[in-house]
Amino acid sequence: MTDPLALDPVLSPAERSSGGAPVRAHDEAYDAWFERFEAHVMNGGKVEAVDAMPDEYRTAVLRFVEMHANSELMGVLPEREWLMRAPTLRRKLALTAKVQDEVGHAQLLYRIAEDLGKPREAMFDDLLAGKTKFHHVFHYPTVGWADVGMIAWLVDAAAIVAQQALRDSSYAPYARTMRKICWEESVHIMHGRDVVVTMVTGTAAQRAAIQDALDRWWGPLMQMHGPRSLREKDMDLRWRIKAKTSEELRQEFLTIYVPRIRELGLVIPDPELRFDEDAGEWSYTEPDWDELRTVVTNHGPMSEARLEFRRVAREETRWVREAILGVPAAA
Amino acid sequence: MGARGDPGRARGRVNDSGRIEPALEAWEVFRQEKEGDPMRHGGSVMAPDADLATHYAREMYGRRQESVRLWIVRRADIFDLEDPDLLQPPLDRSFKKPGGYVMRDKLAAAREAAGQEKPKARAK
Amino acid sequence: MNGAAAPAVVGLDELLLSMADDEFVIGFSDSEWTGIAPLLEEDVAMSSLSQDELGHAAALYALLAEIKDTDADVLAYDREPADYRHARLLDHGRGDWAMTIARRYLYETADATRLEALVDGSWSPLAELVDKIRREERYHLMHIGTWLERLAGTRGASRDRLLAALETLGPDAGTVFTPLDGEPSLIESGVLARSMADSERAWRDSLAPVFQRLDLPIPPPTVDPARGRTAHGNDFRWLWGEFTSVRGADPGATW
Repeated sequence: MTDPLALDPVLSPAERSSGGAPVRAHDEAYDAWFERFEAHVMNGGKVEAVDAMPDEYRTAVLRFVEMHANSELMGVLPEREWLMRAPTLRRKLALTAKVQDEVGHAQLLYRIAEDLGKPREAMFDDLLAGKTKFHHVFHYPTVGWADVGMIAWLVDAAAIVAQQALRDSSYAPYARTMRKICWEESVHIMHGRDVVVTMVTGTAAQRAAIQDALDRWWGPLMQMHGPRSLREKDMDLRWRIKAKTSEELRQEFLTIYVPRIRELGLVIPDPELRFDEDAGEWSYTEPDWDELRTVVTNHGPMSEARLEFRRVAREETRWVREAILGVPAAA
Repeated sequence: MGARGDPGRARGRVNDSGRIEPALEAWEVFRQEKEGDPMRHGGSVMAPDADLATHYAREMYGRRQESVRLWIVRRADIFDLEDPDLLQPPLDRSFKKPGGYVMRDKLAAAREAAGQEKPKARAK
Repeated sequence: MNGAAAPAVVGLDELLLSMADDEFVIGFSDSEWTGIAPLLEEDVAMSSLSQDELGHAAALYALLAEIKDTDADVLAYDREPADYRHARLLDHGRGDWAMTIARRYLYETADATRLEALVDGSWSPLAELVDKIRREERYHLMHIGTWLERLAGTRGASRDRLLAALETLGPDAGTVFTPLDGEPSLIESGVLARSMADSERAWRDSLAPVFQRLDLPIPPPTVDPARGRTAHGNDFRWLWGEFTSVRGADPGATW
């Protein structure tokens, strides 16, 4: 999930990102304006970067987009580890283009966040200092080429389910960017599925590697959209920054992808997983929310290594930004 | 889309020859998807000058062959007009729009006076 | 000799292999910047350049694969390090951003000069491919040229690092023009318009005004020119170990 609010139920109060909006003294004129603004977005109205907006809304959008941007940036690293090992010319081109797209998505999202008032360098500072979060799936190791396929297929698929629900976000620059990103992500899913199908129909070792990757990634995939939450308490939903709850997204993912996984003869490592006809939804073993909490607070298996890799890379190119590009120092 | 509150605003930088060069700033990118289409806003890139802004626009909005033309504009050069008093003035402007001319009943009366039938819609 | 059928010209496979290996190695090396370049926008740009080079490599290997009745991936991946024929210039590892820009600039300009001598060649499949490659390389030259100017024109760390990179790379820069064994027959048959030595002179002539204007040292004569495309060092051995690791783990598998 790229929605930091969706994490709140599994985090301790000190670890939560909500509640950052400034507390205002009671002000009737402001309250009236706030009400008009709320009515505008709740009725499907859109907000542009240059429009006046309440700080509460600005903070909520910024927090949402910043975590999404961080996730794209950090999401580069697990696949990047296999960039130099791609086994054919076509795979090399496809993976390089995919990782490039993730960087491109980070650029698109950081631009949105920058226009909301936070400089890019300040966002990098916060990310690398552990003050802001990135998507929990990018805290795990990629142990083989099968993981490259699994990430591009199922991790991206779960992400696209969430991102498609953002294409109508009340924050218009975000909605437009989501339309561009979803279009690009659809290529990634095809690339990932092609890698998986090729290996599943390949040697015994290749097939085993795919099943092993699925076994390892299934838990994180089920945690991906966050724990169930109450629709009426979710301000991001109220303000139409996003459109669907965590559980709605997870159900959608399962509906589309469980059959596609099973048609390859792969076994989903959850004996409880089934479609409950009476309830009209999927039932499954409760995801490990303790693991999600541990991982997303930067205590995952690769959290520190990946952050450190980024810190080093950023330092190595600092002279270029300072001398050549004239990047202002972080505020 | 003015300069207001824009963290990407130019910070002057003096180069070796004493000339002030802009630092990283925002450039807006407009793209045309196919010949004859309108130019549509794509997004923006950060770049220190027009050359790199052009290259980066090409990367962000053209690397999949999804554009046939790009316009790259320094954000600071854009004037944003969104004032409703200027763009959506409150008084009647129906005389400027086709929908402002309703003559069904008058036409019917004219036909009747002339003893004419309503013309059949021509097949296209 | 206009048809697509592979002409029986001595040196043709040697020429194609050297060009393909050049593009393959620089494409792989520079793709290492994907995800960690100095600026997000630049990251995307540098990755595009790498993908273009890898695309050129793929097309050149495919042409060679037809002649040798094999597969482009087999040519690209299934050789020992000593059998690669890329220029020694490209053996230098990624290095810092100045190293990358310097290596790219030297390679792009040399490659452009080499392609110039091939675009009107008598074997149409190669001449047509070269024409397409040149259209893509135009952008590379523009982009890397912009960076070279910036690095050279900004006193301090930037210029110092560029000078250090040029000092390291300079003696190997001319290896792109390492003479081919089959050169006389390539020229005689009209595939190649001029000798590599002539191309190297043309390249140095074109480099001179730019380097003079930017006050940069012109690359010195090539060291050990006869072995300009053999005897690859440890940096390449590492790269080779990387790009063969998945493929080599399950030989014969389809990926």
